[in-house]
Amino acid sequence: MQALDPIETILARLMPPALSQDCQHDIDTMLDELAAPLAENGAASPSGKTVPRWLFGGGIAAAVAGLLAVAAFQQVTPKSDTIASAPASPDFVLVSGSDRIESVTDEGQHENFDGSAMHALRLSAVEENNVRDQQSGMVVQISARRDEFLFTPVTSF
Amino acid sequence: MNSPANEWKKWLAENGPRLLLFARGWCNSRQDAEDLVQDAVLKMWHHQAEKGHRTPDLPLVFSTIRFGGLNHHRTESRRRKREESVIYLNDFKDVWLDPLLEEDEEALILREAVQNLSQKLREVVVMKFWGGLTFSQISETLAVSPNTAASRYRYALEQLAHELRRIKEDRHASA
Repeated sequence: MQALDPIETILARLMPPALSQDCQHDIDTMLDELAAPLAENGAASPSGKTVPRWLFGGGIAAAVAGLLAVAAFQQVTPKSDTIASAPASPDFVLVSGSDRIESVTDEGQHENFDGSAMHALRLSAVEENNVRDQQSGMVVQISARRDEFLFTPVTSF
Repeated sequence: MNSPANEWKKWLAENGPRLLLFARGWCNSRQDAEDLVQDAVLKMWHHQAEKGHRTPDLPLVFSTIRFGGLNHHRTESRRRKREESVIYLNDFKDVWLDPLLEEDEEALILREAVQNLSQKLREVVVMKFWGGLTFSQISETLAVSPNTAASRYRYALEQLAHELRRIKEDRHASA
């Protein structure tokens, strides 16, 4: 093993302090919130209830309608300012960007407060931007994953 | 099995101090550095989604902090220019490193000297010494060759040794 430089021996007597309690608490809370949807998905187990056959067809039709609605919506709305948005600094150049829907999950029916039924779809989307730092030439990918819910009223049974 | 949140908390408890120290190089205050670490953790969480939210590799986190730090540095420079007429009376001791022993003269001198190293040298020392990264990992983080990373480290140690010698001689001369 290589012997330590005398300076390294002294440096070893210095230690970086821990994160403050406030910061630690903030990050822990953030991690809990980020992990909550994963825990819900993991905990969801087959309930054993029978599902009417017509609901499968309805679910597929609703999923297709949802995808079309989202595609149409994304054409007319500007990109939201998420963490994946390219930095505004002129020193960073947006090389490429994408916003895609990775999965669509049928969340079943939900009841509104007024008793009406809504069919819910969960869309899992990923926004990715590649930006280049003009000074260092490094290209960094910034991506943000988000879940969106699409509710459509159920008018016929 | 441990939940991802718990795995990440454990990972943060182990690596938080070294990430904070690295972030200090890009920020004027401890609070800003902690914000930078939190931001990096958030970005890493999303980045690791494809890998089942496994805890991230340390070089990647250093790289993310560095990228966030570059952004922060530019914003901060603009803000400072706007506020340069304001006089701050806040002179509390805000240190980056704690000595294991009190009254450790050499360690205290080097603590100041590490803070005063140039950015290029300091980030290599922090990643190598307190971050535990290899020169190869450092070179990936900084987009330089491993030889450059190693020579920056050696040069930094020489500067620290020189500064330590100079300050000790000054103190003995005035004693």
